[in-house]
Amino acid sequence: MIADLCKKMLGKSLWLFHTNCGACNGCDIEVIDVLTPYYDVERFGMKLVGSPRHADALVVTGSVSRQVAPALRRLYEATPDPKVVIAVGTCAVGGNIWFDTYNILGGADKVVPVTVYIPGCPPRPEAIIYGAALALGMVPKKVKPQHEQHVPRGFDLDAYIAKWQDTPVVAR
Amino acid sequence: MSPETLQKKFLRGLTEQFPDILGKLQEHVPGQLIAVLPREELPKVTKYAVNQLGARFVITVATDQRDKTGDFGISYILAFDEEKQFLVLHSNLPADDPRIESVTPEVPAANWAEREAYDMVGIVPEGHPDPRRLVLPDDFPAGIHPLRKEYQYNTRFPSEPQNAPPRMPPPEGSTVVPIGPFYPTLEEPAYFRLFLDGERVVGSDYRGFYNHRAVEKLGDSELNYNQVPFVAQQICGICGQVHSCAYVEAVERACEIEVPMRAKYIRTILLELERIHSHLLWVGLAGHIIAFDTVLMQLWRIREPVMWLMERVTGNRKHYSSNLVGGVRFDITPEAADDIRRVLAKVEEEFKAVVDAVLIDTSLMARLKDVGILTEENARALGAVGPTARGSNVAIDCRVDHPYAAYDQLDVQKQVQDGCDCWARTLVRLYEVFESIRLVRKALDQMPGGPIMAKIDGPLPADRIALCSVEAARGESHHYVRTGEDNRPYRWRLRAPTYPNLQAVGCMIQGVNLADVPICIGSYDPCFSCTERVETLDVNTNEIRVYTREELQELSRRKTLG
Repeated sequence: MIADLCKKMLGKSLWLFHTNCGACNGCDIEVIDVLTPYYDVERFGMKLVGSPRHADALVVTGSVSRQVAPALRRLYEATPDPKVVIAVGTCAVGGNIWFDTYNILGGADKVVPVTVYIPGCPPRPEAIIYGAALALGMVPKKVKPQHEQHVPRGFDLDAYIAKWQDTPVVAR
Repeated sequence: MSPETLQKKFLRGLTEQFPDILGKLQEHVPGQLIAVLPREELPKVTKYAVNQLGARFVITVATDQRDKTGDFGISYILAFDEEKQFLVLHSNLPADDPRIESVTPEVPAANWAEREAYDMVGIVPEGHPDPRRLVLPDDFPAGIHPLRKEYQYNTRFPSEPQNAPPRMPPPEGSTVVPIGPFYPTLEEPAYFRLFLDGERVVGSDYRGFYNHRAVEKLGDSELNYNQVPFVAQQICGICGQVHSCAYVEAVERACEIEVPMRAKYIRTILLELERIHSHLLWVGLAGHIIAFDTVLMQLWRIREPVMWLMERVTGNRKHYSSNLVGGVRFDITPEAADDIRRVLAKVEEEFKAVVDAVLIDTSLMARLKDVGILTEENARALGAVGPTARGSNVAIDCRVDHPYAAYDQLDVQKQVQDGCDCWARTLVRLYEVFESIRLVRKALDQMPGGPIMAKIDGPLPADRIALCSVEAARGESHHYVRTGEDNRPYRWRLRAPTYPNLQAVGCMIQGVNLADVPICIGSYDPCFSCTERVETLDVNTNEIRVYTREELQELSRRKTLG
């Protein structure tokens, strides 16, 4: 639904606000790279803006540290609706190698809802352009979302199955 | 200690003042001395070495060694660049009373290092003029020092928002201008508070470390020697090769591993290619900051083939993953060498055309000349490194002063300017690109054949210490490694070049116009590109005015247009 809405509202010209939330700069220079002559993303009407209030999309890089999380939340709230959040790089997608250290929350989706994930360390400029186009619904999705059952750590699977088998067939 | 070391000038000066230090000095690695001193004596020796003998303060290393010796350790690392020497002054502090006299009042470069030693390990610098929290987040619990061995790297500490460090009070009658915390492409999101009198900056305050990712804790507790380089390269997306190279060289020096010559040359070539793309990137961004977007577009167009080249040679545009302890993971084939030569020829030709235009451009000169003055004395006192220092006539360059990889065979020319302003720092970087192109060509020509990986038998020896400084595009990256059992480092300390350079910014922006602040902050290469917003608070009327980044940039750009 958000893709349809975005296609209608933002399809012609997407303005991006770029935030570094604890990234190493690798993704950040690639984001700037797509603006420069070889990739020239401005031909699609996309450009970086300096204020979240002018933006249609937040481009988040970095694994989101404790210190930066409240600021990211405020940025998201300051961006007018409808908006999309694009997580660029493995850090923003899932926290990368520091996903569980004491100062890292582990990915942009721990703080704000993410629309498009662009993995890669860093992602290629082509991947970033493709991800932005995907957010707009300009290109078809190549993968479907898969919902795998997550078994949390310390979860007693045997007890869970036993309980499930004991329940009457009708209730199932 | 080797006879050459005994002849060095600094050692004579040191033993004149402190005669009994000679017996305590040990040369653990050639060019690196370590002395274990009582804690009363350590600050005295540090102050004397820096202020009387011209040593450069590098960093402090605080270690929690309670599981080994029952106490804390602190090391002050000093460099004597002209004599190609590192000096480590170490002191052991009792576990129940880890205090040491602060050297910051007389050695300003130690300011952050001592604050960080308190934050991370809990060593109290007594008499520090500004003992606020530096590294840990605002809501981190007080009294918890995460680098102590009792804390796991993945402990989730509770939130205590009342622990935010207090802000520095502005001088009387000045206006406060907060900038940040989002400067999206800065090394780390940072929060500056500028104190203004009209449009002139009269002071500043800085809160950074939004980017703290517990790298050192991971290295100390979880990773083994060959996993650390892959974490180290992710410290910085622009100079990742520098960090992984500095780490593996430090381990190799500590454990006396003989690295094959070809591996050293491959490291050198990758380091220089990284410098080329980083400098091209910076010059472009500097143009962008002062509204000269043609420079940005041209420089990044010239730079892009270098990125493609790196992908061709290493497999990735960034994070080359080339280094392991003992050598490198892949060779540079003759075909790749031809590619490197071809790309460099193109880059050199195109870059020369841009430089010829930049050097005579009056609008660039009007914005960069005599702006952001960092005098030679201040650059030395604050420990500035890299092009920031070399633009202020401080001729330090680790490639020459503390050679690593294959630089001792390449005859590197230091690029030094005496302008002390943003223009001088720009010139240093422009000329360094040509120097780097020359070095890569020379290294390709001289590179010998042979293996690219040393043979290492069994686990590496424990409890040895070594340092390595590697010259990144921004300045000296310094790594300290103390080896441990079980093939893991016991303590791994790193200091990125922005660490000392950021401390010099306060001095650089003193007295400049608000419109010149972006280029001043940008001129030490933190990849400054966008400020989120600027909010000014007039202390006399309590009226709040919010500048957007466009307005700030407009201010900066209007100045260019006159």
